[in-house]
Amino acid sequence: MSELAKRVAPEAGRLGRIIDKGGYVFAAGIVLAAGILLLEVFLRYVFNSPTLWAHETTTFLCGLAFLYGGLFCVARNSHIRVVLIYDAIGPRARRWLNVAISILSLIASGFFAFASWIMVSKAFWTPTGDFRMETSGSAWNPPTPALVKGFLLLMLIAMALQFLILAFNYLRAPADRASETDV
Amino acid sequence: MSAVLDFAAIGIGPLTLWMFGLMVALLLTGMPLAFVTLLVALVFAVLGYGTMAVPIITSRIYTFVESFVFVSVPMFVLMAALLDRSGIARDLFDAMKLIGGRLRGGVAVQTIFVAVVLAAMSGIIGGEIVLLGMIALPQMLRQGYDRKLAIGVVCAGGSLGTMVPPSIVLIIYGLTANVSIGDLFTAAFIPGFMLAMFYVVYILVLSYSRPNIAPPPDPVPMPGAEKIKLLKGLILPLLVVFFVLGSIYAGIASVTEASAVGVGGVLLSTVLRGEFSLKMLRDSAMQTLATVGMIVWIGIGATALVGVYNLMGGIRFISELMTGISDNPTVIVLVMMAILFVLGAFLDWVGIALLTMPIFVPIIKTLGLDPVWFGVLFAMNMQVSFLSPPFGPAAFYLKSVAPPDISLGEIFRSLLPFIALQVLAVGLLIAFPGITGR
Amino acid sequence: QDYSFRFQSSDPAGNPNFEFQQGWTETLKEMSDGNVVVELLPVGSIVDYKETQDAVGAGIIDGHITDTSYFAGKDPAFGLIANPVGAWSDPSEMIDFVENGGGAELMNELLNPYGLEFIGVSTPGLEAFVSKVPLDGVADLEGLKVRNPEGLIANVFRAAGAAPVNLPASEVYTSLDKGVIDAADYSVFSVNQEVGMNEVATHPVYPGFHSLPLIEVSMNKAKWDALPEDVQDMFKASVKEFQQTQINALKERDLAAIEEAKAKGDVTIHDWPAEERAKFRGIARGEWEKVASQSEMAQKVYDSLNAYLESKGLIK
Ligand code: NA
Ligand code: NA
Repeated sequence: MSELAKRVAPEAGRLGRIIDKGGYVFAAGIVLAAGILLLEVFLRYVFNSPTLWAHETTTFLCGLAFLYGGLFCVARNSHIRVVLIYDAIGPRARRWLNVAISILSLIASGFFAFASWIMVSKAFWTPTGDFRMETSGSAWNPPTPALVKGFLLLMLIAMALQFLILAFNYLRAPADRASETDV
Repeated sequence: MSAVLDFAAIGIGPLTLWMFGLMVALLLTGMPLAFVTLLVALVFAVLGYGTMAVPIITSRIYTFVESFVFVSVPMFVLMAALLDRSGIARDLFDAMKLIGGRLRGGVAVQTIFVAVVLAAMSGIIGGEIVLLGMIALPQMLRQGYDRKLAIGVVCAGGSLGTMVPPSIVLIIYGLTANVSIGDLFTAAFIPGFMLAMFYVVYILVLSYSRPNIAPPPDPVPMPGAEKIKLLKGLILPLLVVFFVLGSIYAGIASVTEASAVGVGGVLLSTVLRGEFSLKMLRDSAMQTLATVGMIVWIGIGATALVGVYNLMGGIRFISELMTGISDNPTVIVLVMMAILFVLGAFLDWVGIALLTMPIFVPIIKTLGLDPVWFGVLFAMNMQVSFLSPPFGPAAFYLKSVAPPDISLGEIFRSLLPFIALQVLAVGLLIAFPGITGR
Repeated sequence: QDYSFRFQSSDPAGNPNFEFQQGWTETLKEMSDGNVVVELLPVGSIVDYKETQDAVGAGIIDGHITDTSYFAGKDPAFGLIANPVGAWSDPSEMIDFVENGGGAELMNELLNPYGLEFIGVSTPGLEAFVSKVPLDGVADLEGLKVRNPEGLIANVFRAAGAAPVNLPASEVYTSLDKGVIDAADYSVFSVNQEVGMNEVATHPVYPGFHSLPLIEVSMNKAKWDALPEDVQDMFKASVKEFQQTQINALKERDLAAIEEAKAKGDVTIHDWPAEERAKFRGIARGEWEKVASQSEMAQKVYDSLNAYLESKGLIK
């Protein structure tokens, strides 16, 4: 299958390989989420005792997987793109385009990391500076909002780093290498 | 950093054009789509409102990934990955050939029926297209179907999830317009089925009028024992479908939970067939992660763009477009349709609903038109938006799992006839509102 | 125009609550001879309904009109003050507590640190409870699969023996229809009737026994402080007018919707006797205490609520 054959992009460097390995954890999270939903259906329908935690846990696990999946695809260079012009130009121009795209994406991720830091600080500390994690406000009331917001910040930082490494390696790599990993 | 440009002085009209222009320009560089929309949102947020507006984007990212209804997307993708790795998908399509084999284009027609059944199991799009893209597309290509037809069938059929009830588009419309969701579901049933029938007729006409579109029917009669062997391939998939639909319609599981029932059913099927292994589960889960990473981040980019565009006054812009156009209700509805088509090219349906519904629904009610009929019309219009380039989510979802030699350009070209059929359905709904049964 | 602001509502565009809120922006515009203009955006336009408090505090949007209990995850006190389940049997009681019984001061004590200023209060009124099965008292709640939004309410239902199911608003209709859940805490009778909840769950309890939400109108504090006093007064006066219009008009709509439902004949409206309502209130009060212990502000809200209810003779 095309997606599995595609491994981490060589330009992604060691960080890319770590991100690729880390994927197992979040992929397992998706399977676990399916199991929890099934358990919830079972407990509710058969025993008439729905849990308070199943839906929020499932959403949490999938939320983490969604965020990590974005980083995972950056490391694999598998995000969807329009290659109409990109494919038509020569390898030299393409190499510079790769550098430019990586730098622009780096800047964007950097801005978002900064913005999510503002969000995270509100989710982890009260306005007076006391530590308290923002909770969901439900009957179970887990601190998932704070955790997911914090995880988003980590993902954006990792993404910025990954784009930095990509920009650097595209700049360094010979032109023909750069075209090997395109979608 | 504070605002750089005075957006109020430039006006929302020109800003909209700039926004679209920048988006298309960046897309053409080959920048990943998700980062194009995120970057455009960022640029406009910073230029118009300064860095303090950027948290809008991160806040919307957070909300998007923490939404319960999207849980069904990874479930459908996981189901697809498991079906693909087991022999179930192949057996299913071989068996389908047995039933529809007498007909030219029979398997493509059956794929549309599978799509309708999937649509009755799901309220959103994304999951079904990925599922059909992984299962039906390779099988149709293997059997010698025309590539463009196979691609179109998968994308158009897979989009039916929001037209056939249950549908999140109709639910959100109902909550926004304050009309009965039950009435919307009832009214959408025939139009949804009508659209599916358009696809079927198109497949058959094309298969019989042109050579090399669909494989010719097998002239040699198959021995009975062979037939029974093939038909066995249908049993497990049909049982899974039965359990998923049954769990929804018997009130055992919510629509989102039912997607997990599907995963459980498929896993159990692989165990029964003796195909289950931990490696298969792990590989399927990894593929799910890679696929949802692509799909979800496209959605993230779209939601970011909508938030910033609403901040810029997008809703006011739509309202300005609508003021004083005509007294004729038909003209007004047609203008609305035109606006929806244009927005559908660039935005996702959630954004379109947010932008247009506050303006359109009160107008429809004032004109004395039926808001339920309009809701179905809106859902039909969103079918077009899923396929229309440059922002056609259905194409992106398929691209995320299609063989690498199928380019986005080819997918969009393949979708054109199906878009025409959808536009025809929109036209019929306007000309004959009675199709909704109201 | 001298002042223009952008507010976000927690209601969708065609919802009657949103229409009344838009009426508020009209009133304010008239009062100020067109000098104060508020653009009201529907739910989710700029940020999600649970994120508006952060956005107003940061000045990204200028204000919001929202159910305060959505922020219970920031401080349980928001959940307690917004919906002390069982405390109120009429909108006027809740409004008197906020306006004359120390509630407004508490709201500001809660909101000011987050960068918001409380302007005024409204409510759609006592909600109607959506149910597929006949409910005539607390005992019928035993084992009931009920959907609850965030806040104190789910804890109270659990304490009353029900089985709360956590579902988003967009899944309530189909889940009720197919019987995944038996009941739901959704909205007022007329809205429930219009979106078709009563068609799939034909045993509504009206008036509800469970929820009378506090809807706050508030804005960015720095922007509020920069306003001249006469403009601030116009804000407060117009919110008061909006509150009265909303309560009275929704009450009328509720009654009209009830007539409609009765005329159709497929809906059985249940009304709980006073002793059953008191029983539910008793269970709820036990949960208030638990919430009170969760934060300093929640304790303060709890004390203030009790003092008010005692002073009015509403509890013994
Ligand atoms: Na559907
Ligand atoms: Na489109």
